[in-house]
Amino acid sequence: MGSELLELSLEDKLYRTRFETDSDFHHITVKDPVCRSCSEKLCLYICPAEVYKPNPNDSHLVTAHYENCLECGTCRVMCEQEGIEWRFPNGSMGVKYRYG
Amino acid sequence: MRFADKLRNYSIAPAKPLSLMDEEQVKLDALVIGGGPAGLSAACAMAGAGMEVGVLERGEFCGAKNVSGLLYTTVLSEILPDYLESAPLERPVTRRSLAFLDREAYWSVSFGSEAWCEKPYNHTHVVYRAQFDRWFAGQTEELGATLLEGMVVENLLYEGEGATKRPVGVQIRDDEPLYADVIVLADGANCMVTDRAINELNLSRGAQEQTWAVGVKQIISLPREKLEDRFNLEPNEGCAIDYIGVPFEGLVGGGFVYTGRESVVVGFAAKAETFKHNRVSPAQVMDAFIQHPAVRRYVQGGNLEEYSAHMIPESGYRAIPEMVGNHVMIAGDAAGLVNMSMYHEGSNHAMASGRAAGETAAVAREAGDFSKEALQPYVQKLRASFVMRDLSKYKDVPEVMDSVPELFSLYPSKVCSLLIDFFEVSLRSKAEVQKQAIQKFLSGVPKLKGIRDIWKVRKLI
Repeated sequence: MGSELLELSLEDKLYRTRFETDSDFHHITVKDPVCRSCSEKLCLYICPAEVYKPNPNDSHLVTAHYENCLECGTCRVMCEQEGIEWRFPNGSMGVKYRYG
Repeated sequence: MRFADKLRNYSIAPAKPLSLMDEEQVKLDALVIGGGPAGLSAACAMAGAGMEVGVLERGEFCGAKNVSGLLYTTVLSEILPDYLESAPLERPVTRRSLAFLDREAYWSVSFGSEAWCEKPYNHTHVVYRAQFDRWFAGQTEELGATLLEGMVVENLLYEGEGATKRPVGVQIRDDEPLYADVIVLADGANCMVTDRAINELNLSRGAQEQTWAVGVKQIISLPREKLEDRFNLEPNEGCAIDYIGVPFEGLVGGGFVYTGRESVVVGFAAKAETFKHNRVSPAQVMDAFIQHPAVRRYVQGGNLEEYSAHMIPESGYRAIPEMVGNHVMIAGDAAGLVNMSMYHEGSNHAMASGRAAGETAAVAREAGDFSKEALQPYVQKLRASFVMRDLSKYKDVPEVMDSVPELFSLYPSKVCSLLIDFFEVSLRSKAEVQKQAIQKFLSGVPKLKGIRDIWKVRKLI
């Protein structure tokens, strides 16, 4: 048990957090032209939930796995090129903390 | 449900339509954007003064999107004097510690007081904000405010131009707009509505641009007895430990461990910009911290209940924008009212500012004037209170933290290794051991820099 807690992957951890995924509304949109010209790609490691992953089909782009978003907004304020269009999820959707 | 139906459910009568509005439109005395400590405190003050108030919250319930650890309750105890009876508080903080972490070694100082184990518990409690804010919202509702939960405010709606431009209501996603005489912006750290309003109303921004820290935490459940044994606590006691040192190498920030009733909170907060320079992710730092021998001993065998993250505006006094415009006030994290010194005070400031905004709105309503000038008493109240006095005292904190990054890893680890080296039992003479320990301690940092840094760091206290 003890080792289990300390060895959880981020995926395991996010599984413990409650989400209500809105499959009709992707609240994060990466602007591909901006993303393509960005060499820094800070979003790939600044996000606490690692929502952003390299696009498997195009290494110059990233994809946003919005369903894991903890809605902290760090990516939004840190992307200097403003390549992330970040909107609030629809009312009551998205992360739903039980503790917070 | 449409908001109009919701309002009817809460039996708030639609106000007389404004001249330019059709009959369907609903107007309240005040709208609060954001159901956190700032917004709810504002709503309490306004509802208590007999105003019709609506609190717009995008989460399913107030608190659903909110994260923090410690709550200082001095302002809460004035807003809701009976809070100790019904608020979902975890443990009071009866012992505080500061711990320095080296790679394997650690050093900590603890202090506490018997007096902190009795009401009002030094006004410091561990809380879970999803639970606490929800309770606070219930209390606000009892005072007569209407909670409009699950509603996303996209923007404010405006009338007039130039100096007379003013918000008259809010645009709600997939719903009809809602109108009010005065709007309190309390949309928190990720304050997109406030940001747009500042631009629309041409309010001045702070002298410095706002920057953010990102905070991450894990909540780990542990049987009560085990928890009390590990932390050496009585049932009515709790502790808060702050950490600086090696897991946060290269970052400007530190970690914390707090005790809940049957759970342990482990987390850290660090300036977002510093992840950029180090190319580490918050999740990696979280792992390094929780796996440190000084930390993992507290939580091993426990169950992870939740993983959460939130931003904290961390630029302090110099980044506070103009908090008042025609018919609008900004409170709490949205105004950047966070003290990032060793006191880490945010939600108490949020409550103080929300309350001051609410009280100001109530007076403005009596006079029938919600102009920018008429709302200035909000700023004056805050300036006269501990909120702005503290923020002003600690206005150099962000700068000091930036200029002494060694404070968060090199210095703590040096202090640890000095002690470890001093107390290493060996066959060498004590004189030799001590001399070497001191030499190692002093190596790598120019003496003058060390002295200068110590002098700078005093500003954090």
